[in-house]
Amino acid sequence: MTRLPSSFRIGWLQVSHSKTKLLIASSGVVVAVMLMLVQLGIRRGAIDSSIAIAKRLTADVVIVSPRTKSVFKPSSIPRSVLQRAAAHPDVVRIQPLYFGTAVFRNPWSLQEFPISVYGLDADQPMMDLPGYEQQRSRLELADHLAFDLQSRPTFGPVAKELLAGNEVVTEVNRRQVHVVGSVSVGVSINTEGTLYVSPANFNRLFPSRDLGAVDIGLVRAKRDSDPDRLARELSEFLGSEVRVISQQGLVKAEENYLRETAPLDFIFGMGAVVGFFIGFVVVYQILYTEVANHLPHYATLKAMGFKQSYLVRVVLSQAFIFSVIGFIPGFVLALGIYNLATTAIQMPVLMTLGRATAVFVTTLLMCGLSAMMAIRRLSSAQPADVF
Amino acid sequence: MQPEAPIVARDLCFAFGEGELRKQILFNVCLVVEPGEIVLLTGPSGSGKTTLLTLIGGLRRVQDGELRVLGQQLNGASEPILVKSRRRIGFIFQQHNLLPFLTARQNVELMLDMERRLTRIDLASRTVSALESVGLGDRFDFEPAQLSGGQRQRVAIARALVGDPELILADEPTAALDSKSGRSVVDLLKNLARERGVPILMVTHDARVLDVADRVVSMEDGAIIESAGDVESAS
Ligand SMILES: Nc1ncnc2c1ncn2[C@@H]1O[C@H](COP(=O)(O)OP(=O)(O)OP(=O)(O)O)[C@@H](O)[C@H]1O
Ligand SMILES: [Mg+2]
Repeated sequence: MTRLPSSFRIGWLQVSHSKTKLLIASSGVVVAVMLMLVQLGIRRGAIDSSIAIAKRLTADVVIVSPRTKSVFKPSSIPRSVLQRAAAHPDVVRIQPLYFGTAVFRNPWSLQEFPISVYGLDADQPMMDLPGYEQQRSRLELADHLAFDLQSRPTFGPVAKELLAGNEVVTEVNRRQVHVVGSVSVGVSINTEGTLYVSPANFNRLFPSRDLGAVDIGLVRAKRDSDPDRLARELSEFLGSEVRVISQQGLVKAEENYLRETAPLDFIFGMGAVVGFFIGFVVVYQILYTEVANHLPHYATLKAMGFKQSYLVRVVLSQAFIFSVIGFIPGFVLALGIYNLATTAIQMPVLMTLGRATAVFVTTLLMCGLSAMMAIRRLSSAQPADVF
Repeated sequence: MQPEAPIVARDLCFAFGEGELRKQILFNVCLVVEPGEIVLLTGPSGSGKTTLLTLIGGLRRVQDGELRVLGQQLNGASEPILVKSRRRIGFIFQQHNLLPFLTARQNVELMLDMERRLTRIDLASRTVSALESVGLGDRFDFEPAQLSGGQRQRVAIARALVGDPELILADEPTAALDSKSGRSVVDLLKNLARERGVPILMVTHDARVLDVADRVVSMEDGAIIESAGDVESAS
């Protein structure tokens, strides 16, 4: 049987002797862990939900207007440019994507709410919309459209009706429509809900919009062609009228735009830093008073031949114990809050192994740093002073 | 050949402070403690007894003079040498200084933990016999706060002896005790030391325990003024 190092056992016996102190120090760590995980998780959730649309595009290359900063606020490009792109030998197919914001009448409350509308052909759509293509025949009927089941509940229990096999008749942009299809995609901080319609129906909902003005041009490349190279070639070929980037480049650009315009890193980063400091200060306070109270005993151990490094390990063990005891409930609480965020504001916040590991390591550092500061007090434990 | 004396101090001088604040405490102290000998150190308060004891125990650095403890030259010794030397000595302090969050058994075991070589079973059996030898066989799992002053000092003795020290240094081990338990603690210490042939250097003000000594040494103003020799034959 291998035994724990003596310094660790002494550290454990010392912290477990005073349950109150163990509780206070661990609560400090719990708060720190929870804050760090929640802040970082919501930051990631906000970014993820905002780039979700860009991520769902299955096109290899996209063509947008140079003025388009985000797929949620696209400026249009002429459809003719898209047709020119189709002439490139590496381009297999092109597809226009239309985007607009309409008002959706909640058929139960009769109140109207803004809703995002994507106009996309259900014939081999270059977007990952589970079930959209299968509902093609119905969606091609005039004023028939698909509803995102994960839209916020402000629109009424549409999802429930659709799942029960019923269609919902209501008004979008004051025009009577039949909600017959459903997809499950998810909303973002930019939208409350989403409709997916055929280009023809898009035109019916937005009669002033010209289908010759495309919001995002989707390009399917030949299987073996490199999207980045194709994007460069198309860019040269189509001129400065449009911006051509690979789908992955679009995802990155979306994330960068979001982080530039919304101070996500600052706000949530600050929250995480505050969590770190709360944990640091609480653990430091507890360890410092522990060391101070036991200074004569530590001096005695030194007099009996224990090295300074042994005492340092005793204090570090205590920091380690606080980290572990605080991390577990902090982690569980954070999971609860993630769940709450996911159900209450329809923004999926997921725990990742990477984040959990990073926060655990940070917690160890936080407690270790507190311990190192508290240990400075230890050097004043003079063995000669115990007589 | 005679084995070397466990403590040999020659012309030991010691001062606290630097420059203007420098205050010399020990003046040319010479002291030899023979193997197995029990020596009591007495003298008025402030005469430097504790200071001398801390020097011998390797808890302070020797400044001037020569000091050999258990064959190890301590003048000019490095910190690791001092730490090594401390481990061969059993210390008993005026305050028991037991760790309050450890039981009697754990306090004693801790000393054996310092040397990692012992197996779990050796460790336990040596701890048990050390506590039994000080008459605390029924108090293993008591914390210091649950023990009387005399019992705590006995745990401290068990702790000092469990590592088989080659020398015992004690500074007024009875000062915090009433005369009866003080007496029994000193008797216990003496008997255990005699059994093992371990020399003791003990500082005490307690005139009632002087009779346990082979020799009583008196200090005044940082110097040894008299060596009373064999107490029993002198009285
Ligand atoms: N850390 C220190 N710094 C400065 N002076 C000290 C220190 N420790 C002790 N002294 C001084 O050294 C002198 C001797 O002290 P020491 O403790 O050796 O005396 P003692 O003989 O043990 O006295 P007591 O019987 O009261 O314990 C005293 O005058 C004391 O004030
Ligand atoms: Mg003293």
